[in-house]
Amino acid sequence: MIVALLAIVVGATILSGLEMIYYDVPRQMSAQFRSYGANIIFTPSGDGDINNDDIEKGVEVFGSDELEGCTAYRYENTKIHNMPQALAAIDFESVLKTSPYWHIGGDMPSGNGMALVGAKAAEGLGLKSGDTFVCVNSFEVDESVDTSDIPSYEMYTDPESGETYCDHELELVCSGILETGGSEEDYIYVTYDDITALTMNERGCDIVEVSAAGMQEDLKAAAEKINSMGLTISAKLVKRVTASESTVLTKLQSLVFIVTFVVLVLTMICVATTMTAVITERRKEIGLRKALGALNSSIIGEFMSEGLVLGGIGGILGSVLGYYFAQFVSMNVFSSSITFRPLLIPITIAASVMVTGLACLIPIKSAVDVDPALVLKGE
Amino acid sequence: MSKLLELKNISKIYGELHALDNVSLTVDKGEWIAIMGPSGSGKSTMMNIIGCMDKATSGQVIFDGKDISKESRRKLTEFHRDKIGLVFQQFHLINYLNAVENVMVAQYYHSMPDEKEALEALERVGLKDRAKHLPSQLSGGEQQRVCIARAIINSPELILADEPTGNLDEANENIVLDIFHQLHREGTSLVVVTHDDEVGLEAQRIVRLEHGKITSDKKNDNFHE
Amino acid sequence: MFFRMVRGTFARQWKKMLMIAVTVALGASIATAMLNVMLDVGDKINEELKTYGSNITVIPQSEAVISKLYDVENNDVQTEYIEEEKIGELMTIFWANNITDFAPVNDTLAELNGTEVTLVGSWFDHHLEFKKKGTVYQRDTGLTNLRSWWDITEGEMLDEQKHSENCAMVGVQLAAEQNIRSGDTVTVECSGRTKQLEVVGIFESGDDEDNYIYTTLDCEQELSGCGDMMKKVEVSAITSPDDELAVKAARNPSLLSGDEYDLWYCTAYVSSICFQIQEAIPEASASAVRQIADSEGKILEKTQLLMTLITVLSLFGATLGISNLVTSGVMERSQELALLKAVGATNGEVTLLVLTEIMITSVIGAAAGYFLGFAFAQVIGQSVFSSAVEMSGMAAFIVIVLIIAVTLVGSIPAIRMLMRLRPSEVLHGGH
Repeated sequence: MIVALLAIVVGATILSGLEMIYYDVPRQMSAQFRSYGANIIFTPSGDGDINNDDIEKGVEVFGSDELEGCTAYRYENTKIHNMPQALAAIDFESVLKTSPYWHIGGDMPSGNGMALVGAKAAEGLGLKSGDTFVCVNSFEVDESVDTSDIPSYEMYTDPESGETYCDHELELVCSGILETGGSEEDYIYVTYDDITALTMNERGCDIVEVSAAGMQEDLKAAAEKINSMGLTISAKLVKRVTASESTVLTKLQSLVFIVTFVVLVLTMICVATTMTAVITERRKEIGLRKALGALNSSIIGEFMSEGLVLGGIGGILGSVLGYYFAQFVSMNVFSSSITFRPLLIPITIAASVMVTGLACLIPIKSAVDVDPALVLKGE
Repeated sequence: MSKLLELKNISKIYGELHALDNVSLTVDKGEWIAIMGPSGSGKSTMMNIIGCMDKATSGQVIFDGKDISKESRRKLTEFHRDKIGLVFQQFHLINYLNAVENVMVAQYYHSMPDEKEALEALERVGLKDRAKHLPSQLSGGEQQRVCIARAIINSPELILADEPTGNLDEANENIVLDIFHQLHREGTSLVVVTHDDEVGLEAQRIVRLEHGKITSDKKNDNFHE
Repeated sequence: MFFRMVRGTFARQWKKMLMIAVTVALGASIATAMLNVMLDVGDKINEELKTYGSNITVIPQSEAVISKLYDVENNDVQTEYIEEEKIGELMTIFWANNITDFAPVNDTLAELNGTEVTLVGSWFDHHLEFKKKGTVYQRDTGLTNLRSWWDITEGEMLDEQKHSENCAMVGVQLAAEQNIRSGDTVTVECSGRTKQLEVVGIFESGDDEDNYIYTTLDCEQELSGCGDMMKKVEVSAITSPDDELAVKAARNPSLLSGDEYDLWYCTAYVSSICFQIQEAIPEASASAVRQIADSEGKILEKTQLLMTLITVLSLFGATLGISNLVTSGVMERSQELALLKAVGATNGEVTLLVLTEIMITSVIGAAAGYFLGFAFAQVIGQSVFSSAVEMSGMAAFIVIVLIIAVTLVGSIPAIRMLMRLRPSEVLHGGH
């Protein structure tokens, strides 16, 4: 009996553990896919910039669990050593959440006056970490510019047109080199304060990268909702990331499903063979009962109810153990706990009772057909 | 006559139950003894102790001048397979081996299996032509004869039979008893445990057991060779 | 005699032995299926991850340095190129089989109806043949697989066999702005040369490419006048996740010790594949697209770990199932074994007999189970990934060791029982 119970418990544990993993895989894996970075981008909906307040409103559409991170980019063209160089302002603290794949040689800038230089830009400019360089922003000085903060040596007047220009300078320290293998390597990244100081112009950002967990359909719905809010942003899915993620996740989930199914079928057969062995061992007892005048039906009823009780106990124990197993897998693989789904418990118990019942039925039927005299005499 | 087996003050206690209570018994070489008594009198316990399949709680067992009551289990097994042949009421043949193979199993554990010798043993019990049959194809009497052939194959000094005719009809009972007589003539010692008077009266000496004690130990005057 | 006893058991008690063998076979098949899938899941998921696009880009060696210095006004005029005929070298490197797809990406600024647009020339389903040292390498490769996330909103994907070279695909945003429909003919001008291109399809990519025109490589080369040259090649390769060695090698392969170098070179790290590409095409510089390469590594690691744990669970289940039945199988025979002891067998002899029989049964069961399990693995492979799961020698080895261990462990309680078995108790039963 202990042997049979053990087999049922193991079967039920595997079943409930795999069920839980099956339902939790998309959620858990989706978080892993965030290493691909942003899967939604906000672009200005009109001709202007993105209003920084609107970013927060847009991002609120995602729950705090879903939102992995969001980074706003503001691009400006400047000159370094008289050559054009694109500058981008970002929040260095949050950028790795939307671009976890950034490799930084040296240190991430920790504040104003420091810059993260893309590998290609660094190569072109001959910059290494720790080097200092000067960015120059040239603009025409007209009435709208407050000249009080500009040192006079930066300003000059074009003798031909008589217009006044300003070459506003900003000295930056290259704290690290950015390597991504992509177009990010062409840029130099600085803080918002620095870019405002350099351009002497405070404005919103050009693009916002958002990284949020969820399947393609959920994200699409979220993007539509944001677009209908009438903000200065228009949300778009980064299809290359979202579409691929859906494909891979679907495959993974169906992998776990098929594995669950195969393991389940095989465990069922294992439980059945064990039950057969247990009942064959008790053939003598069955023969004796028949000799004492028991009806086949009452023997079947008695043994079946024994089997079903065993299945029930096994199912309950299995659900509990399966939960701990799934939790163990989840903690080890994804370092996060598994979602407890109460519905899976009755399913596991029902499956376990059914399997045990079926497994008992066949050997019991063949056992009661035996002539009691033969069994009692021994072989 | 020299002593083959001597039980000195043997007791066997299972919890509160004294299965054997301070029993002493001597078996001479070549002697045929019947141990008789009702169920629960301690017959089986005594047989187990004589057959080296169990150890007494207290007392000594001296076999062929050697005290074996303190020997290790492994030594006992070796001793038992060299000196003793067992015959059971239920025959206990291995059901997937044929008659000659069943005999050879005993040879195998004793020394070397030798099919010719095994066939000779079967011939002695009159079963040479049934040698390749499985136990299920043999009658009860034939199975018991295979069991006897298995018991004598290693030429033991003592044959220990536990209700050897209990499951047999009269004709087969007579065949088995004839074989016992023949073994006795050849000088093999026999200890037959039985509750059947007819079987008991065939022996030279009859020992009666009751409640773990020997109540009588008499020579059988009706014994005939 | 020993042999005759063993043979007797199998010949006349085959039903019992068959049941044990079937259970062992089932356990072994779970183990085999799971191990094979687990050992192959990395490659399978890796192939699926290829939908994210290329993870290596190949650009001319000096482009990175020179274009920034000299072509200050117009970034897209390049001074260095990769010769088109050299690209076939990609099929000759050590890890060539891991390269799933590659395609040139030649981008040029062109004028379309008076507006400046980016025109990209590439392969779509290009048939490439390359002869080297008498061997002919060939491969069908191109953007069709490298842009698997494209949605064709109108028309169809450009097909090099079906369509002429003067065909184009237009990004959905550009098409909307210029009101271009599939089937239209557009005029593209570049450096004074003009061409009429037939639009075969409109695609939605969800990024900047929605504003691009894609055309065949030949067409772009004619327009930009760069001859049989390539500006950039996107390569998609199946790679192993980076580990310490890969990180060390990425800094400078020449700092590795001889053994480390061999190990690194012969492992499909993204860095070693890049290195081999540079060896094969010396004028090119290959670098990893970190966004893709890193993420692939992470996801692969998690998937493998997940599968490993599930496998361990299944193995555990199979183990218990088998040892359960082995134990009860031996217990059932207690009477027969007690008899052997009564006839004079020592504990050691009976144990040896039981173990031999069980082992033979297990080995037969395990062999059957291995093939059954391999079939299961194929079912999984075909239904989930639509491709066969590779047969792994390692899985076979693990299954054999496991089954032997499980059978031995499963026999322990039975053997302990055997040791304690008193023939006297068993043989006098049934009075």
